[in-house]
Amino acid sequence: MAENFDRDDLPRATVVPKRGTRISIVWIIPILAAVVAIGIAIQRVMSEGPTITILFTVAEGLEAGKTFVKYKDVNIGQVTAVKLSTDHSKVEVTAKIDKSAGDLMVEDARFWVVQPRVTLSGVSGLGTLLSGNYIGFELGKSKKAQRKFTGLEVPPIITGSQPGRQFMLKAENLGSLGIGSPIYYRQLQAGQVIAYDLTADGKSVQMKVFINAPYDKYVNRDTRFWNASGVDVSVGAGGVEVRTQSLVSVVAGGVAFDTPPFAVKSETAATDSVFTLHSDKTTAMKQPDAISTHYVLHFTETLRGLSVGAPVTLLGLPAGEVTDVGLTIDPATMNVRGRVEIVSFPERLVAHLGQNKAAIDKMVQASAQGRQDIMRRMVEQRGMRAQLRSGSLITGQMFVAFDFFPNAPKPKIDWSREVPELPVVPSTVSDLEAKITGIVAKLDKLPLDTISADLTKVLTTLSQTLEDASKAVNRIDSDVTPGLKTTLEGLRGTISAVDRTLTSTDATLVGRDAPAQQDLRDALQEIARAARSLRILTDFLEQHPEALIRGKSAENP
Amino acid sequence: MTSAPLTAAEAGLLSCETCALLSRPADPSEPGYCPRCGGELEWRRHHSIQYTWALVIAAAICFIPANVLPVLSSTTLGSVDSDTIMSGVVFLYTSGSWPLALIVLIASVMIPLGKLVAIAYLLITVQRGSISSSRERTRLYRMVEFIGRWSMLDVFVDTFTVALIQLQPLMFVEPGPGVLFFAAVVVLTMIAAESFDPRLIWDSPTNRERLHG
Repeated sequence: MAENFDRDDLPRATVVPKRGTRISIVWIIPILAAVVAIGIAIQRVMSEGPTITILFTVAEGLEAGKTFVKYKDVNIGQVTAVKLSTDHSKVEVTAKIDKSAGDLMVEDARFWVVQPRVTLSGVSGLGTLLSGNYIGFELGKSKKAQRKFTGLEVPPIITGSQPGRQFMLKAENLGSLGIGSPIYYRQLQAGQVIAYDLTADGKSVQMKVFINAPYDKYVNRDTRFWNASGVDVSVGAGGVEVRTQSLVSVVAGGVAFDTPPFAVKSETAATDSVFTLHSDKTTAMKQPDAISTHYVLHFTETLRGLSVGAPVTLLGLPAGEVTDVGLTIDPATMNVRGRVEIVSFPERLVAHLGQNKAAIDKMVQASAQGRQDIMRRMVEQRGMRAQLRSGSLITGQMFVAFDFFPNAPKPKIDWSREVPELPVVPSTVSDLEAKITGIVAKLDKLPLDTISADLTKVLTTLSQTLEDASKAVNRIDSDVTPGLKTTLEGLRGTISAVDRTLTSTDATLVGRDAPAQQDLRDALQEIARAARSLRILTDFLEQHPEALIRGKSAENP
Repeated sequence: MTSAPLTAAEAGLLSCETCALLSRPADPSEPGYCPRCGGELEWRRHHSIQYTWALVIAAAICFIPANVLPVLSSTTLGSVDSDTIMSGVVFLYTSGSWPLALIVLIASVMIPLGKLVAIAYLLITVQRGSISSSRERTRLYRMVEFIGRWSMLDVFVDTFTVALIQLQPLMFVEPGPGVLFFAAVVVLTMIAAESFDPRLIWDSPTNRERLHG
């Protein structure tokens, strides 16, 4: 390599001025500020709960920034805005919900305005008089989050956390029941009616009831519900009986339930099971008639006063019901007769049996053939007949009575028919009627015309006879009377003579100083003396019987 | 250079920041200490621009929560009212006292914001080596420095209210987190204004390069 080269030919290193790139410690301040600010921002965002909107028809007492959303009396949010909805028909309430309650905002959560309310069943929300209205909240069961809700008009009666179960009641009509109507179990309030609605077909009302926890286990499959509204007054042979549940139920209506004693022990009913709401306790607790037999009766008499549901009795005890009242026409004879269809419940009769109940019950329940045999024997051999009877003279209500008429003619019954016809006898009332009719008919047959003609004749004759008699009397009067007068005068003279005679007779015989009487007295005195002498004689003779022979001795001791 | 008068630094002299004595530096790179008061002499403040920038940015960051977070929350009969500065302004305006609303708006929002903007403007112009309207910029700087001491008015009112209104069960007032950030904004802008070296406004770019080199 070349040793000698010019050092000056070499390029010179450049000097780059040192730049003040050192970062000062002061930058910690903005970094710190940023960290704190970001931290606060993050914390804010994290603690921010959801914002929800609730639609109310009225927003009574709701104020932005003042009204809270409360659940179990704990604030879970605050109303941030109250404004009209876009169509101005509702009020849109915006509320900011706390982060902790954010996951409670699910689709079936419920909101309502809590304000003082006075209803028949109680007063609620008095606390809001001081604190102002607030929005009540009730948990939903769903898991699906929602941010838009529709508020309830009235607070829900049953809160989700309340232990108990819900059932459905079906009734013909609502009666005096409403939301909040109490439900009683043995006169303890056990629940409430929480909703009602018409069924889809519009023919009945379906009620949702909630039975609180300890009582819901008494609702089993055989439980009966009945309307306990108002006062139930029944007048029976035992006097007047008044039944009510409570004063509230009298005013506001109510429902009671119980399980009839004859019910088999069944498991508790499932939630939402449907029950029938009976009109009263008696109907509710009536044992269901498992066995029923239908018969048809043909009456020739009037069916006026006989209605569907009228009782059918056997020897005066309930045995069934009338199911239909109508007419039947025999096409051959064009004979129209009253048709009464009845249903008999053999179990009801069995219930009246004292001894042997079990055995007969068994027989009744055993087979249709067995029941028919009993029926046939009663009808054909014992003479059981149906009869229409008047249940009440005032209302004219009729019922069908079965009684035994051993003398009734033997009927012919087609037992093979699905609905056998049972023989009937005319009712006592119509029997009486028939007899009266017979009498009237007989009276009709009487020859009243001839009788009256004869009677007229008789009367004419009688009149003539009387006239003749009158004439005769007149003649007697004119012809006989003068002679009679003289006769009478003579008679009077005779009578006075007789009178005189009698007076003298009296003086002679009866007067005090009448000679006859004097004589008679003397005579009587003589007789008395004689009698005395006779007594002395007899006494003497008794003591001295020998005197009869010897004669009276001079002196005797 | 011709339009602007000669600065001390250009003449190779420097003045004491404490007693304003003009002296010759002991060594151009190490100016030494003031012969009169003993204060440390500097050509220009160390990292003045960087410092000021950092503080201004910090203040700007704090300005956001100061306005977003509530400065005051009053509890009346169980209902809590939280107010931010702006909601207070809106409340004052809607309740009819617009002059008061204007005062609060100016004192609490516009002045802190204006200060931040003003300092940032000064910094940018200095960094860009602008030499125009130096006088106006200096006046701006003086104004920022002057206003700084009055900016704690909000914080003062806030603490005063909190201390006064403590009727425990009926109503009471609590400071919100916003007031803390507001105070931070005020303090940071004051320090930023202080850390800014106004002499930089008058420096020509070549001069600055030499001084900061």
